[in-house]
Amino acid sequence: MIEIGRLCLKIAGRDAGLKCIIVDVLDDKFVLIDGETRRRKCNILHLEPLKDTIKIKKKASHEDVKKEFEKLGLKSRETKPKQKTEKPRKKRKTSEQLRTQKEEKKKLMDIFKKKKEDTTGSKVKEKERSGLEEKAGLVEEKKEAKIKGNRPKKGKKKDSEKETKPAKEQ
Amino acid sequence: MPEPYKRSRSLRRLQVKVSGGRTALHYKKRKPGKAKCSNCETLLKSVPRERPLKMHKLPKTKKRPERPYGGNLCSKCMRSLIIEKARLQ
Repeated sequence: MIEIGRLCLKIAGRDAGLKCIIVDVLDDKFVLIDGETRRRKCNILHLEPLKDTIKIKKKASHEDVKKEFEKLGLKSRETKPKQKTEKPRKKRKTSEQLRTQKEEKKKLMDIFKKKKEDTTGSKVKEKERSGLEEKAGLVEEKKEAKIKGNRPKKGKKKDSEKETKPAKEQ
Repeated sequence: MPEPYKRSRSLRRLQVKVSGGRTALHYKKRKPGKAKCSNCETLLKSVPRERPLKMHKLPKTKKRPERPYGGNLCSKCMRSLIIEKARLQ
């Protein structure tokens, strides 16, 4: 059953359930397989032989196996070759670069400080104003001013001021 | 008297050594049962026994073996199933 060109099912491992061809018999235990699975050495116990056989040379390349698989209507496994990339190595910064970095940091810090001062300062001022106004009794005056503003439409401006004050006292 | 939920045995108890030097009793939720093969009910290997939150943090490759039906069937049952399917065809 185990011979070169025999179609098999792989039973074990991550390629389990995929079809493959025996390309080479290495041992009484191990064979070389290729096809839908990865091209690898495999234990006979991890293979389930099927009916079909394919005429193939011993140690046939992956491309030959691919052609034969296409005739059967199966897709062989394709791996993309990885592009070789070098590891990015860290380089020490020169003294000039360090200086510029420090200056940039300082600039940023100054901007933040200014912003903080602006925000905190304005809030405090507003609070102070409101507090002071209440203490001085300016709030009441404002109310009066509103009344003053409404009335002069009917009467003359000079008279309106005199009229409003006694009205509140009553 | 501790709270009622601490009196029942639904939470597991852990003796934890605290940074102060003393040992304290900590209450924690119990772990789920071990994973079993859905066909023959043998315990599955390499499937961790953790709460869902911890399982969520693990990578996918550490939660189950990386083969078809991994984490559901044991390797023997998986093999027999694949062979059966192939022979039926």
